[in-house]
Amino acid sequence: MVNVAVIVKLEPDFSEGNVSYNPDGTLNRAETKSILGPHSAIACNAAFYTKITYGSRISIGTMGPPIADSALKQAQELTDADEMNLYSDRIFAGADTLATAEVLRSGIVKMLDGNKIDIVFSGHRASDGETGQTGPQTAWKLGYTFLGNVIEVNIDLERNYVIVKRLVMLQGFDGIVEEVEAPLPVFITVDPSYSPNYRTIYQRLAFAKYRKEAIARANNYKQFLKIYDSKSLGVDPKFVGLPGSPTIVYRVEKIPKAKASRKAQLIEGQDIDAIKSIVPKLRPIVS
Amino acid sequence: METFDVAIVGGGSTGLAALKHLSDLGKQAVLIEAGPQVGTKNVSGGILYSKRPRNGKVHNVEDVYGSDFEASAPLERHISKYILHATSGNKIFTLDLTPAHEYQTNFGYSVLLNKLNSWFASVASESAEKQGGGIVTGVHVRDIQWSNENKTLIHTDELEEFQVKAIIAADGVNSEIAYLTGARQKFSPNEVYQGVKVVIRLPEETIEERFEIDTSEGAAHLFAGDVTLNHIGGGFIYTNRDTLSLGAVYHYESLFSKPTEPSTLVNALIQNPFVSELIKDEVITIDIDRELSKEEQLRKRFALTKLVKTFEELRYSCYSSSGRTRLIDSGKFKNFEEMKAKLDSIRQELIEKYNTKFVTNYVELEYSAKLVPDGKRCRMKKPYHRNILFVGDAAGRGIFIGPRIEGLNVGIDDAVRASLAISRSIDKNNFAEDYMGQYYTSLVEQSPYTRDMKEIDKEYLKIFLESTKSIPKEIVGSRYGFIFKIMSSGKLRGLAVGIANLLGYEKILPLVESEETYVQVPIEVALKLGKKIDPSYTPVPPSIEERVARLRYNDDPISHIIVREPESEFLRKLVVLCPTRCYYHEDNKVMLQHEGCIECGSCAKGTEWRHPRGEKGVIFNYG
Ligand SMILES: Cc1cc2nc3c(=O)[nH]c(=O)nc-3n(C[C@H](O)[C@H](O)[C@H](O)COP(=O)(O)OP(=O)(O)OC[C@H]3O[C@@H](n4cnc5c(N)ncnc54)[C@H](O)[C@@H]3O)c2cc1C
Ligand code: SF4
Repeated sequence: MVNVAVIVKLEPDFSEGNVSYNPDGTLNRAETKSILGPHSAIACNAAFYTKITYGSRISIGTMGPPIADSALKQAQELTDADEMNLYSDRIFAGADTLATAEVLRSGIVKMLDGNKIDIVFSGHRASDGETGQTGPQTAWKLGYTFLGNVIEVNIDLERNYVIVKRLVMLQGFDGIVEEVEAPLPVFITVDPSYSPNYRTIYQRLAFAKYRKEAIARANNYKQFLKIYDSKSLGVDPKFVGLPGSPTIVYRVEKIPKAKASRKAQLIEGQDIDAIKSIVPKLRPIVS
Repeated sequence: METFDVAIVGGGSTGLAALKHLSDLGKQAVLIEAGPQVGTKNVSGGILYSKRPRNGKVHNVEDVYGSDFEASAPLERHISKYILHATSGNKIFTLDLTPAHEYQTNFGYSVLLNKLNSWFASVASESAEKQGGGIVTGVHVRDIQWSNENKTLIHTDELEEFQVKAIIAADGVNSEIAYLTGARQKFSPNEVYQGVKVVIRLPEETIEERFEIDTSEGAAHLFAGDVTLNHIGGGFIYTNRDTLSLGAVYHYESLFSKPTEPSTLVNALIQNPFVSELIKDEVITIDIDRELSKEEQLRKRFALTKLVKTFEELRYSCYSSSGRTRLIDSGKFKNFEEMKAKLDSIRQELIEKYNTKFVTNYVELEYSAKLVPDGKRCRMKKPYHRNILFVGDAAGRGIFIGPRIEGLNVGIDDAVRASLAISRSIDKNNFAEDYMGQYYTSLVEQSPYTRDMKEIDKEYLKIFLESTKSIPKEIVGSRYGFIFKIMSSGKLRGLAVGIANLLGYEKILPLVESEETYVQVPIEVALKLGKKIDPSYTPVPPSIEERVARLRYNDDPISHIIVREPESEFLRKLVVLCPTRCYYHEDNKVMLQHEGCIECGSCAKGTEWRHPRGEKGVIFNYG
């Protein structure tokens, strides 16, 4: 049995009608509705894939205020998780990525009754001001092999290995895919372009079956939810929250808009002549 | 490679019944449906019947889904009134055909296939899972092959190939399985009807008031005469819970000889004075001052949309008994008067603050079309090919007799018969044509529905003619006056039907289904005996573009239809006959723009026609 963890994050819902701002233009977190972050949702899809294909057990974890359970409900719907954990304590506030990683590490080792987690999935990054370091730092704290930008996951159950595909950026080349094998346990951050590929009937049938189960479970998600504070999690207050955060944000500045060096010419009208007038300009570029 | 006992291709009401029944027989079956969800591709009128023929037995929907079917399925209304109208201009003559509707019938319910088929799917998949089967949606079957070792392999656009022992082809009137295996030819215009339909919105109690029915009842109104614009066929309106299904079904050959746009045919029905009064509604038109700043316009639009939505939702609940109960139980309102007062105040606000206008028209929710096979003409005599059994529309089975249009119940009956044949074959591990195919054919031949497709039912005719008693025989002047007289006399009718059945449907059809019977006689009757209707307004139907714009599509950049003969006579007609105007003339050639296609199949005979790939194409919300 493969044990899988998913680390998710509650994020402000930036869609129209849901986001709200303070008079000074900063985000009004109390008023803004929260949802499961889009990158977290993708991590959930990858975990669900392992459930369907390898029958894995899934545990979800998130650090956040008590209202974070709405994101957990969404995560439950996407993964059909067997267990969900919310790490919530006043002293966790003000945490940077390292302090967050400490909470998550402590949570992960307690998941599924302390059974060893084979794969941890997390999103690529959060959309509300995060630097993509929580994942790698948690992996480091756990002592797990870190695999980033993963676009496909397969598990070799006999050898206890994962075989993953990673999207690698190399200057001058786009979309290079690297295939990597690694012994379990591993920590995987899932690339935003990940999309599970269910190519067999059994996978599709299992997908439908577990999705149905997941929706039913999500309606009673509180049954699956465990809430931890710093004490029950057994973390050292020195390493979490503000005291555990070595990062100092000195000042936030807007990046000035670069001045365009090219000139734009506006061609108006929808008639054929207007369109034709563009063709000679495009020709040299295309050729 | 994955291996299953049975694959069912197509998740319409026929395929779903096959899945349910096979699973109940303890067999493993997987159903493959191309639509993103079950029910998004299916179109019907439609009334779902349960029948009890005097001779023989049919397998009804409640036999497949259990005796509490009526209590648990999402059925619209129990049809208790069945009325035929002959039309001519603003004159209408009405006949009560309820006895014909009740003939050998347990029940008939109006249904909307999106809702009903999803319910069928949830029940069927539960049974199928117990046998290791189930439903897979968003997958389009592209090909079937038989390997040298006689293995049956199914290829799809989305999945790895898989192997099965037998196949049920329930892929509808434009069955690709039939075309690509050569099991049958594509249907020709003479063999099918073209059906076009719109779903119209009306508050529940307005429907009950206008159609003179109570909450537990429903009505079916049928139309013949000048509303057909001289084509062989007719119109229908069926009452749903809080919508109406309004449509037109025409013999495709009759449309071919004098092409008329399908939407024009529906519009003719909509604009009939009697019909327009039935569908009449108050429609809100929003007009935002374009002189205002962009932001102000946007702000107004948001506020208005919200207000209109509140108004509409409240109006619908207010005029439905269950809606009122819901609102009162939830504590939002104390009584009807309070709701009414709230409605009036929003209305006032809309008019005064937003300059909104309330005009008389009707509200169309969805436009759809599909070919309907006429089983009298095109049912497959050999509904099998190797280890494939054809069922429902795919096998060209449907009852088209006078006002009777039945395909849903026929498909369900076929599905049970195919399941029995396949189950027997699995037990004996023999899927040969002469064992499985021929056995299935014999079961289908025993079906009372097949008898209905072969010969005239004297009893039904008698009941039908008795309903027309009020028409003095002399007034029907054409040569049909004579036939009408013969048929109305008990003694002569027996003889005439006997002779007709001896001749067979092929010979008598041109006589029975002609412009005279569908158009001229009804016009004559309406003119001479009809009641005059003074319309209070003229409905303005949406244009084709507007109708297409209201539909949901998951666009596929790759066209599922390929035009090979752009200069053919057939395709030239399609420029008019495609319900969404996908064909157009360019340089003396006919070109296709597949994006607006609603997959009706009307152009299949003259093109390389396939269903779109999995999840792609049109998505019907009502069906
Ligand atoms: C306007 C109109 C009015 C009608 N009125 C009535 C009525 O009042 N009463 C009545 O009983 N009948 C009526 N009928 C007929 C009835 O609707 C049909 O007979 C019935 O819906 C056919 O069901 P089916 O399951 O056989 O086919 P369909 O409903 O056409 O289902 C076929 C399914 O197969 C899927 N499919 C096709 N090809 C593939 C492939 N290659 N791979 C995967 N999936 C595929 C399609 O997506 C579709 O869901 C009416 C029909 C019309 C059009
Ligand atoms: S393109 Fe063909 S199948 Fe599509 S709507 Fe037009 S006639 Fe029907």
